[in-house]
Amino acid sequence: MFKGLKLTDILVTIVISIGFGILYKIWGPLYYAVKPLGLHLDQLIYGMWFIAATVAFLIIRKPGIALLAEIAASSGEFLMGSEFGLEVLFYGLVQGLFAELVLMAFRYKRFDLLVVSIAGISSCIGSLILDFYKGYVGDLSTWNLILYIGFRFIGSILFTGVLAVAIVKALEATGVTKLVRSSSQKDHEALNQ
Amino acid sequence: MNTAFKENWLHKINPSLKLLTISFLFVFAITIHHFNFMITFTLSVSILFIFCTGHPYKHILLFLLPFLLIFLSTAASMILFGKGETTLYKWGILHITEESLYRGLHLGLRALTFAMMGLLFALTTKPVQLFYSLMQQLKLQPKYAYSFMAAIRLIPIMIEELQTIRDAHKVRGVQTQKGMNSLLKSIKSLPIPLLSQSIRRAFRIAVAMESKRFNSSNERTFYYQVGFSHYDLLFIGYFILSISLAYLFAINFPFFPVSDVRY
Repeated sequence: MFKGLKLTDILVTIVISIGFGILYKIWGPLYYAVKPLGLHLDQLIYGMWFIAATVAFLIIRKPGIALLAEIAASSGEFLMGSEFGLEVLFYGLVQGLFAELVLMAFRYKRFDLLVVSIAGISSCIGSLILDFYKGYVGDLSTWNLILYIGFRFIGSILFTGVLAVAIVKALEATGVTKLVRSSSQKDHEALNQ
Repeated sequence: MNTAFKENWLHKINPSLKLLTISFLFVFAITIHHFNFMITFTLSVSILFIFCTGHPYKHILLFLLPFLLIFLSTAASMILFGKGETTLYKWGILHITEESLYRGLHLGLRALTFAMMGLLFALTTKPVQLFYSLMQQLKLQPKYAYSFMAAIRLIPIMIEELQTIRDAHKVRGVQTQKGMNSLLKSIKSLPIPLLSQSIRRAFRIAVAMESKRFNSSNERTFYYQVGFSHYDLLFIGYFILSISLAYLFAINFPFFPVSDVRY
């Protein structure tokens, strides 16, 4: 999966992700501040934690980037002393892997809102699987559990899908994406059509 | 994390070994469903966290403050909305049962131990040592390790740049107005320049590193050699001993009359 990555791709991905890692770190206290409001309103902002994968993938457009980005962002968050402790590394790994699998299923050829939203939902499912083991969320009352899952799905489409595409569109306007998307890749795409 | 501290034995443990041990404890903690064992397990982690990081107690207490919030907010939703049969309190949609109370507290303790283990690692490990150790002991490819180290070095520059962009906004008289539209605008006006500048800088650094053959996968030598010492044995020994004691204590002298917290 990581075979085709050059040092440039890796470094740019990691730098972007560490940037998001700082954001993730700030997001933690925000999440815990919203949480006591009850009714799982905190789950609406959970989707932010999946965004590094899709933003980095949309910028660099290569296999393995989504997974690497999510791992890098979570380790950045971890090394800055996250409140969540080691759990961020495991969540990051699983979320990145689930996003990567969706992108792989589309053969890394589609870069639109739909695909990244599905990738976000997939990360969301990954995080829910971990929650079932770690947080006993299956033991919440049923109506509460539905609220919990529903809000997280909505949040992941909003952040990982819509926001990520908006960010990358704005970045494309600045021209920096031309630096990292190689011309050879464009040639490949032209050949494939 | 940069605060004044004394280096002690926790800083001298091999970083890869420390990471693997803590990862193992994370998985182990998830398999604990016994409430009393969870209490004693939390104690054995907190002793190490409070007394052995070499940081002043004032800082440790400051770090503990947000942990309390984590404990409360993690516990709250399970206590209030969890499944259970023995009702303690019922008001509208809130339904507190004995089972959900214990389960909530169990989850709170679990979040607390994860937070303490994570911070224990972050406070006692230098990132450079960690990545050298990952390359030497766990055979991480150098191109990933050096990229991580370069990116971590960029964090202070990013923060400085954030301040510069803010100052520039102020100098040019960018007014922050209320309302959804200007909120969206301000969301765009900070991260986009920050991200684009970071990408440009990362690209320049990568070109420089590639020209210095940082991505070559041939045999390479390391400036820092990270090895093992008897402190590693002490670290693992502490956990084996304290967790066994915690288990025996929890089984023989339970604090609460519950065993499995799952429904």
